[in-house]
Amino acid sequence: MHRILLLALVFLAACTNAPQQPASDATALTWEQVLQQAQGSTVHLMMWQGDPLINAYMQRYVAPAVKEQFGISLEIASGQGNAIVQTLMTEMEAGKTTSELDLMWINGETFYQLRQVDALFGPWTDRLPNAQLIDFQNPFINTDFQQPVDGYECPWGNVQMTLIYNSEFVKDPPRRREALAAFVKAHPGKFTFDTQFTGLTFLKSLLIDIAGGGNALDGAFDEKKYQQTSAQLWAYLREIQPYLWKEGKTFPDSRAPMHQLFSNGELWFSLTNNDNEVDSKVRQGLFPPTARAYVPDFGSIQNSHYMGIPKLSGNKAGAAVVANFLISPEAQLEKQKQEVWGDGTVLDLDKLPAEWKPKFESLAARQYAPPRSELQKLALRELAPEYMIRLAKDFREQIIEQ
Amino acid sequence: MVGRFNSKYASLGLFLALTGLPLVLGIGYSLLHSTGLAGIGPKGFTPAHWGEVLTGSEFWRSLGFSFWVAACSIGLALGLALAAVVRGQERWQRGILSWLIYLPLALPAMVVAFLVFQTLSGAGLASRLAFRLGLTGGIEGFPNWVNDPWGVGIIAAHVLMATPFFIILFSNLYQSERLGEYAQLAATLGATARQSARRVIVPVLLRQSFPTLVLYFIFVMGSYEIPLLLGSQSPQMVSVLTIRKLQRFDLADMPQAYVVGVLYSVFVVGAVVLLLRSKTEKTTTA
Repeated sequence: MHRILLLALVFLAACTNAPQQPASDATALTWEQVLQQAQGSTVHLMMWQGDPLINAYMQRYVAPAVKEQFGISLEIASGQGNAIVQTLMTEMEAGKTTSELDLMWINGETFYQLRQVDALFGPWTDRLPNAQLIDFQNPFINTDFQQPVDGYECPWGNVQMTLIYNSEFVKDPPRRREALAAFVKAHPGKFTFDTQFTGLTFLKSLLIDIAGGGNALDGAFDEKKYQQTSAQLWAYLREIQPYLWKEGKTFPDSRAPMHQLFSNGELWFSLTNNDNEVDSKVRQGLFPPTARAYVPDFGSIQNSHYMGIPKLSGNKAGAAVVANFLISPEAQLEKQKQEVWGDGTVLDLDKLPAEWKPKFESLAARQYAPPRSELQKLALRELAPEYMIRLAKDFREQIIEQ
Repeated sequence: MVGRFNSKYASLGLFLALTGLPLVLGIGYSLLHSTGLAGIGPKGFTPAHWGEVLTGSEFWRSLGFSFWVAACSIGLALGLALAAVVRGQERWQRGILSWLIYLPLALPAMVVAFLVFQTLSGAGLASRLAFRLGLTGGIEGFPNWVNDPWGVGIIAAHVLMATPFFIILFSNLYQSERLGEYAQLAATLGATARQSARRVIVPVLLRQSFPTLVLYFIFVMGSYEIPLLLGSQSPQMVSVLTIRKLQRFDLADMPQAYVVGVLYSVFVVGAVVLLLRSKTEKTTTA
């Protein structure tokens, strides 16, 4: 019997964590010391890996560059949003003192959740030499889902939502909310949106339009405004629901199946949060050459993506050095190239050293989406995170399960 | 004697430590999380999450839908496999089919789901063929077999995966139980081929494979990748529902995911114990 007890104890011991050294704090060091500490270390980065172009940029450009310039080995793991939140929450619950992660690609809703559970290290971004080049005056960069970034996440790229359509079938894409409803009714089964981040971002654009457009829903979550505007949104969606793909009885689970339905002709529209995606997908042969992107007159949400460091990271110095490289002019320029990723820069071109600005300005223009300067005029700010949480829940109750 | 006794209980203890303990720990942790006694965030006991899951329709619809998918998938696969083995048992033991039948088992669930999607979706191969043959006027005329509320696509994928497995299982049982000799004996006593199949071969195959069928049923009920790609947004199979609750935008939904996990585990473990015990009792009585 005592053998069984011993085995159980061994098992339980294996499940618990041995005390570990507390993670070092890089904020007290000079940048030179940070560089020294980062030398020869490994940085564990968790990021969304759903796009081969983005993966190639990270694996073939960023990882070799940080190895060569700073002696840092960059290990990239796949994970996004709630997977990151869960990983960090589990580590905190288990009483770990050092996280498995050192750096994470995060967006607004994840930033909000990580701040809720106090899992983010910071403020740290003002320690980065290249942070002075960031366009922090831009409200689409200094504020994430209506929350000031406050140095807890480093801006990395900036994108805007666009609707993608097949110009072979859609000659004049609808530009107003009413026109979209009329189009959907006239062409049953050709339009839908997914139930994840992209689809909910689209719903937020409609919600802002219903509320009066522009900055109508800016600021903290307003229950009264939400109740008023969401009631009209559900009424609008119920009106077009029978004419959506599959008669609105189901919706694609994410952007990828929606893109697939678009590319095989089942849908005439798709949605993307990356205004450059239509160009890259056409170039890869995944979308027909007749695919085009546009932003309706009611606008679309523009947001930035960021890099965050977990509070329990064991290599904050290495993470900071990698983040600093990611916002360097060379890495941002490479990232913005159409054939590489096409991701919008977060740098203020006027702050760049003289030789860099012309390089950014001479980047090849995209073919299938309007220029960013045009999209910017229709850019809407992200709403407070509670809007997304409520929309996700209520969309299920009001539309999917009706 | 004492040594053998100790050794028997040590083996049982080791078995339980490796299989039962992780399950008990997992369910225990989920229970604590679902009642607000563990996890990050507001602390303190609350039955609210249990109340929400038990009184809402979402979980029960999900459980019912998972049962429906498993019952249809196993029923169809069972019928096909029994027919294949009873009508031509030799071909699964010798010749090209005897090794070709193993190939579908090598396909991951996600690949099978993708194949079904490519075949049965509105713009899939079947729809294109139907259009070419003039049976439909376009995508709109093709039936809704993928992402549909009845789970046709999910069932098709599971039938594709389960049928070869059952054929191999039944074919081996046919040999090991020497059913060919019993069938011959039945024939000498005047039974027709149909009577021999219905009264001798099929009952023996079903009885001998019962535990495997129950476990496969549970496996289908808990499947994730196939319903994720081929399922509808509502109702969702239990695993998809759990992950949605666990990984979507609202952290406040997480305890509900643990409630669903605990409830489903209790149902499944209870059903397995009951079914297999009643089977054992019947066998012992017989």
